[in-house]
Amino acid sequence: MTTEDSRAQYLASGATEGGESQERLDLIRDVLSTDATWAEPPPQVADGLLAALAVEAVPGPGMDQERSGRWALVLAGAGGLVAIAALVLGTMNVIQDEGDNVVAMSGTELEAAALGEAEFGPNEAGWWIRLDVTGLPPAPEGRYYEGWVWSDEGEGVSIGTFHLRGEDMPIVLWSGVPLADYPSIWVTLENEDDGPEASELIVMKGRIQQVPEA
Amino acid sequence: MDREVLERFRVGDEAAVKVVYDRFGGPVFALSMSILGDHGLAADATQQTFIKAWRAASTYDAGRSFGPWIYAIARRTAIDLYRKRARVVVSDDVDIVSFPIGLETVWEVFEVRSALDRLPDEERQVIKMSHFDGLTHVEIAERLDIPVGTVKSRSHRAHQRLIEMLKHVEEA
Repeated sequence: MTTEDSRAQYLASGATEGGESQERLDLIRDVLSTDATWAEPPPQVADGLLAALAVEAVPGPGMDQERSGRWALVLAGAGGLVAIAALVLGTMNVIQDEGDNVVAMSGTELEAAALGEAEFGPNEAGWWIRLDVTGLPPAPEGRYYEGWVWSDEGEGVSIGTFHLRGEDMPIVLWSGVPLADYPSIWVTLENEDDGPEASELIVMKGRIQQVPEA
Repeated sequence: MDREVLERFRVGDEAAVKVVYDRFGGPVFALSMSILGDHGLAADATQQTFIKAWRAASTYDAGRSFGPWIYAIARRTAIDLYRKRARVVVSDDVDIVSFPIGLETVWEVFEVRSALDRLPDEERQVIKMSHFDGLTHVEIAERLDIPVGTVKSRSHRAHQRLIEMLKHVEEA
């Protein structure tokens, strides 16, 4: 019996010695017996995905008006108008579930592919701000990203730094100043050797339209 | 996955998105279920994962493996959704959220499900009846109305294929 046969037999029955990888084989056996591993997504997910992409306000990368039109055709073929309305409403519910304290963040010309959102809320010491973005590459060595809240009078206050080299989104930042007075959220690319003021390399921007009372 | 499909996905082609969903919808849903433990939330997380992937498609490097890329998006999306839900009930502190299920096996769930979805249907069925339903070969043979020898050979082939496809998980 080959080593591979032996491992396959162990995975099948656990009856023979699994060798050095026995612990990993046991883990795979455990995973094979869990509900989650075998759970099937409901068909509405695929249909809802089509609907959501069709109503996306922000076009996808490289997507033009012709493509948007093709999405609509795909969707119409998939389900009919009633189904479309239901699916779109379902999608909208998902978006609304995220609450009012969410602001869209978009990349500037420096990082045009960056896209995401900033969620915020009060805590005992001010405001937490949670960034969840995609398309923003890890900061190069010697550089880092810095979050800022910015007033309409042009004053910026740092809310924290990150570099995305091994960090997972979301990134949680903190503001000690009231967001009602500093409603713009920026992300800049900073040089480790520079001073504490914001650089001119703004990579993402967002703006809070209405700040609830803390 | 076909490189051409991935290239088309990268530029936002809708047909390619469908192909990608057909291939990775199951693993993403399984991962989401393992984190969220709820079918409705897992469905939301799965949908959001593919929307995020589609939005970020231009950042995907088609020369690299697609699985780890969408796995990272899916994991982040499910954790984010869990935190949002948990915070409403538990606390305002976003850093203090405990997960009902350990996150350490999430990657294995994603990889195992990916491998299962690539098995022939009859082999996948035997694996499921054996590991998930806990049936013996004799019981599987009775349920499927096929000879026990056929069940054994299917089971043997299926486990060999799994071992081959999950070598990287086994050696991690």
